[in-house]
Amino acid sequence: MAALEVRGLTFGYDKKETILRDLSFTLAEGESVAIVGANGAGKSTLLKLLVGLLPNFDGSVAYDGLPLTEENLPAIREKAGFVFQDSDNQLFMSTVYEDIAFAPRNYGFLPEEVDRRVERAMEMTRTSHLRDKQIYKMSGGEKKLVSIATVLSMTPELLLMDEPTIALDPRNRRNLIHILNTMEQGKLIASHDLDFVLDCCGRTILMADGAIVCDGDTQDILRDQKLLEANGLELPLSLMG
Amino acid sequence: MNKTERAIYEVDQLHMLAMRDQWVNRIHPLVKFVVTLLYLLAVVSFHKYDVAGLLGMMIYPMALFMLADLSFKECLRRLRFVLPLVFFMGIFNPLFDSNRIMLNGEAYSAGVLSMITLILKGCFCIFASYGLIATTTIEELCYALRLLHVPKALVNQFLLTYRYISLFLGEVHRATQAYLLRAPKQKGIRIRAWGPFVGQMLLRSIDRAGEVYESMALRGYRGEFYLQKRPGDPAEGAAGKTRGRGKDLLYLCIWAALILLFRLFPVVVWIGGLARGIF
Repeated sequence: MAALEVRGLTFGYDKKETILRDLSFTLAEGESVAIVGANGAGKSTLLKLLVGLLPNFDGSVAYDGLPLTEENLPAIREKAGFVFQDSDNQLFMSTVYEDIAFAPRNYGFLPEEVDRRVERAMEMTRTSHLRDKQIYKMSGGEKKLVSIATVLSMTPELLLMDEPTIALDPRNRRNLIHILNTMEQGKLIASHDLDFVLDCCGRTILMADGAIVCDGDTQDILRDQKLLEANGLELPLSLMG
Repeated sequence: MNKTERAIYEVDQLHMLAMRDQWVNRIHPLVKFVVTLLYLLAVVSFHKYDVAGLLGMMIYPMALFMLADLSFKECLRRLRFVLPLVFFMGIFNPLFDSNRIMLNGEAYSAGVLSMITLILKGCFCIFASYGLIATTTIEELCYALRLLHVPKALVNQFLLTYRYISLFLGEVHRATQAYLLRAPKQKGIRIRAWGPFVGQMLLRSIDRAGEVYESMALRGYRGEFYLQKRPGDPAEGAAGKTRGRGKDLLYLCIWAALILLFRLFPVVVWIGGLARGIF
């Protein structure tokens, strides 16, 4: 059974304008998949829809066979963690510990289990030293890692990330790549950073105007200059002559 | 630090104060909330000329500040915009109430007495409320409100409003900076720009507030509140909910008894009489 199965997904904020058109794809357990596309291709909308933030869509979405419906939202959000593009919108508590503990507490875990999950999430993202740091005093790179930790504290099977490398300096970006590559969870990453995609994802879905243009091996897609340019993208820097 | 940065910093500092590992901070939030409520009711119920009785009520904020190791100077600085309002409320009483009343054989201006009681009542209530929020986090307060069966929608509104204050301040800060960087010769924002400026800020903070709510919802938030575990707290109850313990009950009983004692009996007058007898 696929970890995530999307069939005939169509969505628009109103009936006149369709943002996503008949999307179908599956993700295997532990698979890392990138969604690439120019601005306005529908990447962020797709991710938000997959975690139930946008209702009223056509088609179907299922996690391990569990359909994305209002009743299943708590269970699905335990399986799939979403990392926002802007970490400032993801982090709302005052300290790192509190923010990471927010989800486990809401899911009713005992205090010891909450502690254990927070410690584990901080270890995975190498943010243990930030434990009692105030959110508003952190750098962009630290905030991004803590954002990921807030989601990892629920030990999701799938991570959905919207532009994770945005506003990260090269060192933090490299650190993030290393951390993501050591995680066992499946990942669905929407990104413009094609070099990052090359480093993190074995498979890529290319989107344009709300539809899937192609879905295949990352190396094959990101080396195809004509295909990329036809869809508003350019070759990754590392592949340019 | 400019004004908005300072305001964000202050909100955060107050939260950090509430997060400290102090003895009073560890008292169950419901107990602290009930004691504060009892105290406020007792304070406002004093007669408008009963200055002596009211003076005894300063025991609670004084003790709270000492027990929680709160700085009175910091409190005054944080409340610098609220306290003048309290003084302003009572300042016209001597003009409107020109009666004279006899106390212990001496005539006093009723207006001055009522002004003093009004100011004392306002100050005591503000200090007690400050003591509560400086020792109890907003989540704990919401948790206490829910235990008192305050409707979930109302408590959520309270929590989210508090959370959005920081977001709104952040937006104000960013928008002001963006404006001033492009208007280096101006002091402040011109009236002409206020319309779009305020509109943009509101729209942006609504967007951000929406995303923050989504982030909360994605992490299992369903309008319930949980007590935060502090170092050394016993592990009991699901989801970090801790039951009232012996020391909480003792705290409640002692303060309820003291507040009632100072409210129902002229303790300050007794002490004064005792002091006069001794000296």
